[in-house]
Amino acid sequence: MRFSSINLMAVALFLLAVPTVQAQAYRAPRAADGHADLNGIWEALNTANWDLEDHSPTPGTMWETGAIGAEPAGQSVIEGGTIPYLPAALEKKKANFANRRTNDPEAKCYMPGIPRANYMPYPFQIVQSPKGILFVYEYASSNRFVNMGKPQEAGSDTWMGTNNGRWEGDTLVIDVTGLNGLAWFDRAGDFGSDNLHVVERFTRTDRDHLQYEATIEDPKTFSRPWKISMPLYRRVEKNAQLLEFKCVEFAEELLYGQYKKK
Amino acid sequence: MQTVMIMKRRFLFAIAVAPVLLLAPVPGLAQQAAPAAAKKYTPPKTPWGDPDLQGIWPGNMGVPMQRPKTMGERTELTEEEYAKRVDQAQKASAADAVEVAPSDQRIGIGPPSYWTERGKPTRQASLIIDPPDGRLPPMTPEAKAIQAKTPAAWGGKANWVDDVNLYYRCVTRGALGSIIPVVYNNGNQILQAPGYVVIRNEMIHESRVIPLDRRPHVGSAIHEYLGDSRGHWEGNTLVIETTNFTDKTSIGSNGVAYNGEGGRNSEALRLIERLTRVDDNTINYQATVDDPQTWTKPWTILIPLKRDDKYQFLEYACHEGNYALKDILAGARAQEAEGKGSK
Repeated sequence: MRFSSINLMAVALFLLAVPTVQAQAYRAPRAADGHADLNGIWEALNTANWDLEDHSPTPGTMWETGAIGAEPAGQSVIEGGTIPYLPAALEKKKANFANRRTNDPEAKCYMPGIPRANYMPYPFQIVQSPKGILFVYEYASSNRFVNMGKPQEAGSDTWMGTNNGRWEGDTLVIDVTGLNGLAWFDRAGDFGSDNLHVVERFTRTDRDHLQYEATIEDPKTFSRPWKISMPLYRRVEKNAQLLEFKCVEFAEELLYGQYKKK
Repeated sequence: MQTVMIMKRRFLFAIAVAPVLLLAPVPGLAQQAAPAAAKKYTPPKTPWGDPDLQGIWPGNMGVPMQRPKTMGERTELTEEEYAKRVDQAQKASAADAVEVAPSDQRIGIGPPSYWTERGKPTRQASLIIDPPDGRLPPMTPEAKAIQAKTPAAWGGKANWVDDVNLYYRCVTRGALGSIIPVVYNNGNQILQAPGYVVIRNEMIHESRVIPLDRRPHVGSAIHEYLGDSRGHWEGNTLVIETTNFTDKTSIGSNGVAYNGEGGRNSEALRLIERLTRVDDNTINYQATVDDPQTWTKPWTILIPLKRDDKYQFLEYACHEGNYALKDILAGARAQEAEGKGSK
């Protein structure tokens, strides 16, 4: 194949242009539905599940396990740094914090709710099918199906919510309503009520990263909507797969131990 | 392994099929047996070319796991037996519609039982289609010994959670158990993406993400309630081979068995599932249980799954709302305390 000088110039210009274009606007490969392909196994790599806000390291509540049970330090994932609680809600958060060893729904192996499911220290898999998008979480076998068709109104309240998805360009936007308000946001006792409304945005920023954002609105609990954001990382191991973390058994002593025959 | 399907069973009765044909694939059998009846169905394809099994395919309650011994090798009910099954289903549905219990009725699951899914009666005699008598093959002596050591079917003993089965504890019904139809929340959803099939079960809430890339199983030290599944296509049939099971699950008529009942599998269990879409609205789900430490022969069940686009697949927050287990244990302790008091 022969190139004219004009073609060569065009190629050179294209090559020069590519890095800038990539830095500004990565174009994700397409999935079968024609939209950005978000299929994969993803996992957060931060301490948001310990505490969404800034936090120093502490010995934690499980002194029996020494440094293994200690809580690592971490920086806030919240825009503006702190959660804008209403006064009564802030008191409840403090009570949650004080009782977190036994009252955190994670300790009980309850479903994680949204947004917490996405930044627990377990991988999750996005299965982007032409019929809808399934989020499969390793933790507690929890999952949620995102309806990509005509939006559906929430029926009864649930842990994982009613999930209506849509595309804004290459960003998957999920509108989550019908949450039961029983899940916590982290091990520090942050929480929402059954009025909670979460709008999530998943954007693939390159081959191995998703940018995750969630706007959290709940006039019963917060003085204004607030936003968290963080990258999610692809599990790139060749043999990456979700394994089973059915934790009910691990929580039975905590939940029912007092009723055991002595 | 025999590939026995529901269509095939019809032909078995239409003509006397030579045993050699048992191993023939269904289309071949159909052509030889009854060309007129055998319309070859081609399932739709996904955009990337896999047979498309996607949709919601609820289980259909009403076929017993094992066939009554008196029926022998007959796989379908007679008209008379079928009429009886229809009548029973109608009576159950009528009972479900009752809103208020008579004052002398003991407390149970209703009324009202509007949440039940009684299913549409079929002529299938038993879920087990192999062995040909529709009954579980004999257990191995080792499995029998374990069964004898475990207290028989739960009769109220509740010293601790392990006196109650995994279903009551909201842990799981297992890979096969999760598809065996029960009286409510029978939803099964199948979703596909390139390289994957997901089988999602409503009851308890399970999602098995099955890779199709022929990767090896996880290491033998890893055990899972639902096992480690690998899938591949054989023509239009999805074949799933699952290993790495725990030995804690039991496969019973309700998807699980009570502790001490037959059905507890060993870690050697190898489950082979075959899913074939035989028409737009039917997937024949066939599963072979191969566990030589527990059963002396492999056995196979067939569950025709019917598509229901209107089925409402709900969140089954079983463990989160498990008051029953707490009450079973607390009740047992309260009874003991009463007993002590009266002495």
